[in-house]
Amino acid sequence: MSKRYADAFFFTGYYGLIALAILFALIPIVIAVVLSFDNRTFIGPFPPTDWSFRWYEEFLTSDYYHQGLKTSLIVSSTATLFSTVIGALTAIAIDRGRFWGRGVLQSLFISPLVIPTVVIGFGVLMFASRLGIVDGLPRLIMGHIIITFPYVVRTTLAALIGLRPSYFEAALSLGATPYQALWHITIPLARTGIIAGAIFAFVMSFDEVAVSLFLSDPFTYTLPVALLAQMRANLNLTIAAVSVIFIIVTIVLIWALDRIAGLDKIVGQGVYGRIR
Amino acid sequence: MAFARTSAGSRSGTRASRVNGVLLLPALVLFLPLLIGPLAVLLDESLKPYEAGRIGGTEGAELTFENYTELADPAYVHYFLDTFRIGLIVTLAAILLGYPIAHFIVRKASPWLAKLLIASLIGMLFLSLIVRIYAISMAYGPLGPFNDVSWLFGIDPRSPAKTELMVIFGLLHTVLPLVAITLISTIQNINPRLEDAALSLGAPRWKAFTSITLIMSLPGILSAGIIGYAFCISNLVVPLILGKGFVLFVSNLIYFRFSEISNFPSGAAISILMMLISLTIFYGLMRLVRDKNGEARE
Repeated sequence: MSKRYADAFFFTGYYGLIALAILFALIPIVIAVVLSFDNRTFIGPFPPTDWSFRWYEEFLTSDYYHQGLKTSLIVSSTATLFSTVIGALTAIAIDRGRFWGRGVLQSLFISPLVIPTVVIGFGVLMFASRLGIVDGLPRLIMGHIIITFPYVVRTTLAALIGLRPSYFEAALSLGATPYQALWHITIPLARTGIIAGAIFAFVMSFDEVAVSLFLSDPFTYTLPVALLAQMRANLNLTIAAVSVIFIIVTIVLIWALDRIAGLDKIVGQGVYGRIR
Repeated sequence: MAFARTSAGSRSGTRASRVNGVLLLPALVLFLPLLIGPLAVLLDESLKPYEAGRIGGTEGAELTFENYTELADPAYVHYFLDTFRIGLIVTLAAILLGYPIAHFIVRKASPWLAKLLIASLIGMLFLSLIVRIYAISMAYGPLGPFNDVSWLFGIDPRSPAKTELMVIFGLLHTVLPLVAITLISTIQNINPRLEDAALSLGAPRWKAFTSITLIMSLPGILSAGIIGYAFCISNLVVPLILGKGFVLFVSNLIYFRFSEISNFPSGAAISILMMLISLTIFYGLMRLVRDKNGEARE
């Protein structure tokens, strides 16, 4: 009998914690979505009494946000392009290679995930200024390449781990040059990992604030930096509208990620590292 | 025949390693100006004396450790302690909330529900930090409908402790999916039959769970915790907005050194120190977990 009570107690706790986690995750998002349709010009008590699309209009017509969005898109896509191409090649070399210092190199290429982004932002800023680079755009791209690079390395490595090197060697013994084998065999086989890495890189870059705070200049700022400045100035509901747009984009990206790579595969292979 | 094969093999081996070198070259060229250079400049700057009113350290002056020694001051130590303490609270909460979800996804949910939950976790991870912070301040902030939630933790919503709770909520919202996703692969690697065996031998469910699945996932829990902790202690924006000046992390200190008072040498010194702490925690603890895990297996 006491066994049954103990189990009932245990399962109440188990499902209670799950419910708590789901509520904790969802409540703020639901509130933000509801508030984005608030017609009041001040932040009043919840729920709103009057509804409108005014905050969406304000976001869509604001030059300030447009400028930020444009910079964000340029910075994120350029950074993603660099880190995807170079990151994929790096992961292939690390996976193939049995050379001295391989572990050290791997740690080095993953390290931007562990080094605080503030430190990277500050460092790139000071380095760029010593080189005489004072424009926001090249600085932002520099910072964003380094912070997105590890994601591509990780996902590509994860895709390559299940792959047998014999495919590559078979191509070599059939007379292909290593570069042909790489281009026609290894890269297509690692494709899902590389694409998943590119999506991760783009999302993380587009969302990045800390590095961009250091590297922006008064005329070149990313969208999150623009939103942050607005949030510090006054809590205005345009950000709620932006939030809803971001949430929709996120859902589309998750769907794409699932179609391209398979969500369970990404999770199972552990994008953030796991113990083997 | 055997000889011929070896020689062909070794030839393709050297060719392949040359290719490896070529493949690694772009990354090394990239890391020089984007990581190594910046860190070297920070280290150099951190050793320069600071002169008020001047942007950047004094050129040509004698190198000094002053920027590091002044960090031993209790006023600075306070920032570090706050960062580490709040990071620990958030990490523990993330494990407590994230473990049951991960377990549920792996062991109990139907494939359809599991996929929905995994998609939600990745969505939660992908959600813009700005959106998150904004949403949390609207929900739990002074004007939010859930302002009074803080009473559950024994905190008066008007007290400064409330801002600390907001910072904890803000960080937890990101760390929770991170920890849960990491734990999924851990639990996937534990054989469910072990628990079944304990049950069929008469163990109560809670005991079978805690003494088998939970114990076996300890290394995974630790590594998920380390990843979450590394994220927490390096965060800038959550304390910047939700902390409202009451709760400041080391990252905020670095940012203020840069943005408010332009004391670059001191900011650089704090950066170097913070980076060393993060790297030590991450690689040091990870290695420890891995070694212990290896011993346990043998």
